[in-house]
Amino acid sequence: MKRKNFLHVHRFLLALLLWAIALNAAAQANITEKNIRFIEYYGFPGGNSAWDDIGYNPMDNTVYVGITDHRDKVALYIYDPEKDAVKLKGFISDLGRLRPFQWQAKIHSKFVAGPKGEMYFATDGGESREEYLMDHPKGYAGGFLMKWNPVENRMTNLGMGMQYESIKDIDVDVTTGNVYAVSYPQVHFLIYDQELNKLKDYGRLGSAHVPRMIFTDKWGNCYYVDWRQRLVKYEKSQDKLLFDSKSLPAFEGTPGEHIITGITAFAKDEKKGVIYLITYGAKVLAFYPQQNGIGKVEDLGGVIDVPGKQRWNYYVPNLNVGNNGKLYYIIGGHGIYAKKDQSLFVEFDPETRTQKVIYEFASTVFVEATGCDTKDKDGNLYFAGKKNAPSNADKGGNLAELGGLATIPFLVKFNPDKTVY
Amino acid sequence: MKKLIACIFQLCVCQVYAQYEFFSPKEAFAIEVSLDNTSLKRLPVYRNAISSLIISGDYIVGGTSAGEGLAPFIFTAALSKREMHSIVDMDNIIPGQRSIRTGFSKGANKTFYAGTLPGNKEKAGGHIIAVTIDAAGTPVVKDLGIPVAGEGIFSLTIDTKGNTLYGITLPTGTFFSYSIATKKVKTYRNLVPAAKDLQLFAEYVLEPDEYICKALTVAGNGLVLGSAPVNRMFAFNPATEQFEFFKKEIPDVWGRRSLGQIESWAMSANGKLFAGNAGDGQLLEVDAVNKTIKNIGKPIMMPQLRGLAFAYDGRLFGIAGALPGYAHLFSYEAGREGFKDFGNPQFKMVAPGIEQGIDWRGFQLGTIASSEDGKYIVMGEDESLSQLLVFPVDAAK
Repeated sequence: MKRKNFLHVHRFLLALLLWAIALNAAAQANITEKNIRFIEYYGFPGGNSAWDDIGYNPMDNTVYVGITDHRDKVALYIYDPEKDAVKLKGFISDLGRLRPFQWQAKIHSKFVAGPKGEMYFATDGGESREEYLMDHPKGYAGGFLMKWNPVENRMTNLGMGMQYESIKDIDVDVTTGNVYAVSYPQVHFLIYDQELNKLKDYGRLGSAHVPRMIFTDKWGNCYYVDWRQRLVKYEKSQDKLLFDSKSLPAFEGTPGEHIITGITAFAKDEKKGVIYLITYGAKVLAFYPQQNGIGKVEDLGGVIDVPGKQRWNYYVPNLNVGNNGKLYYIIGGHGIYAKKDQSLFVEFDPETRTQKVIYEFASTVFVEATGCDTKDKDGNLYFAGKKNAPSNADKGGNLAELGGLATIPFLVKFNPDKTVY
Repeated sequence: MKKLIACIFQLCVCQVYAQYEFFSPKEAFAIEVSLDNTSLKRLPVYRNAISSLIISGDYIVGGTSAGEGLAPFIFTAALSKREMHSIVDMDNIIPGQRSIRTGFSKGANKTFYAGTLPGNKEKAGGHIIAVTIDAAGTPVVKDLGIPVAGEGIFSLTIDTKGNTLYGITLPTGTFFSYSIATKKVKTYRNLVPAAKDLQLFAEYVLEPDEYICKALTVAGNGLVLGSAPVNRMFAFNPATEQFEFFKKEIPDVWGRRSLGQIESWAMSANGKLFAGNAGDGQLLEVDAVNKTIKNIGKPIMMPQLRGLAFAYDGRLFGIAGALPGYAHLFSYEAGREGFKDFGNPQFKMVAPGIEQGIDWRGFQLGTIASSEDGKYIVMGEDESLSQLLVFPVDAAK
């Protein structure tokens, strides 16, 4: 009886989805279901999710994604838009020459292109045994910095960050190749100098939760936030941290746990000299970096405004900028949804500061997306997507953050200006 | 039916998340001590590791340690108002100092004594300082001079009458006494490691701050107690100026005796002495009369036992563990509960600009102290941006 009910609901949701897509397609002549495509991975049945581990390599116009079983296996996939093909390059533990006691549960960081076309990322423990078992035989050794050479098809293990600590995010100074990193759970800001093989620890910057995103500007300065959601800039020319005196804009009533988590997504519009940010308090911001000092921040409003819902209470761990200058993001995930059990694909116009929902998806179609600033040379935008698996699917590795439901990962390709089929 | 399913689902989700709980009693709170680039009364980055801590009435008195080339602070925070109160930049008192890590020894007239460690460029040495809190709650710091030229002050204590300070220097490990009245200093080299000891430490790649005694105390019988290389407990008799070493070494984990180093002390209301061994984080009960040590055990798996403080109800609270792990708050009750591990404290911090409150989790806790009435426990962090974590003893169930 229950199963019958479920199927009934499932059909209803599917119908709702198709109706929503059709409605949007009719309302917007330019964006239809032909503008978005879900690309499946292969060769890793246990893989259930991706985090922020997606990135674009401009050297050979490829998109990198790490898919994890959220336990001890992480696969590296590279998507070639020209060939329209996904390739499994191998598993991080093998490619990075890790021993079993150096197990890694996921790549949480983004993939970042270095000055020579190499791709950088870092690894993460991803589970409770990471944080509390430590030097127990089942404990977590710590996260590693890694570099993939696409010409030689070779991974270089650049070594560990902090002992027992995961690495939540990285970025790269494109002028020097130095790697910026932030640790979990102690929120230490680290800089790795490859030439000298030196890792410098700039100390703890956060409180009880690790802000997930760091980003750089075109001069190679790096940005993060402190517990008051103030921008913290690594001022490269002075080798020191600069703390902004003001917090980033937030909606009134934003709870402390949303403030301390900081920025969930960013995307750069190089032509305009702006870096767009989305906060865990659901604000869209325009940040204008400058070579010296911390630049101006402009409040562009909320990610969406659903009547009856708090304006700060939306979850957006993803962001891309189209060639049309508009922002694209997917709202939903980690138990926070604009609409119950649905994700919303939103277009945000920074000029008019208005949002438009262009797709709505049932959680069994598309529940959550991660990924920032991932655009290929043809203006295709990419997100690391996942959907809730049907209740009878045996995927394993259910994610507590998604309500304990099993998920299936896929690559999202979207172009607001043309078809992606 | 839908509500029932929702409840069951919620329960499942809660159970998934409830793998561990932080020590977060609702009565506990964090005080924001450090915040760079602000108009608020706060300490700047890299100069705020709270390495000395004592409570005088309503004021929490802190002494900090700074990064190389930077100067520490003495500060007060108001317990009742839950906020920073006053800051003194040590660079304006004694330039060239980097750290106040001895803790505060309480003397007569509510005077707190501490020692400083100089920065690398300061060759003159560390100073003894006397800190009093004026009527406005501001620390008043007096420089009592350098007891041992060219050496920093690593540990310090005061006799029960409040007349004489006893300390150990870094890097040589020279023991000294300082008469508060006459300012006369006497030095003793009995604890300085011998050449063979230095060879042992070199084999284990240990630096002086990893084997010189980190904390001293004065027992009820007047003996000054502390550790000496390698892994020994000593007693200094001020009357005879003689050193005596305990017959048995400090209890160690097999093969790790080179790590033996006392780094904390606390005395119970009935005069029992307890010490913390940095080497492997053992809690020790020390008998200053019979000169024996009882190994009570390790509250957690990690090395280090950085601080101890008795509460009014007889419970001993302490901080075990440090980098590369996290510190845990623990309590010990002899004959009752024994050890209890509270894990990482995570307390609410409310301050201007964060009125809604944020959670502050204590990872690296360097110091712990109890209020004069023993009803509050205060912990100081050892971070690049360090804060105070406070809880009422009755909230620690």
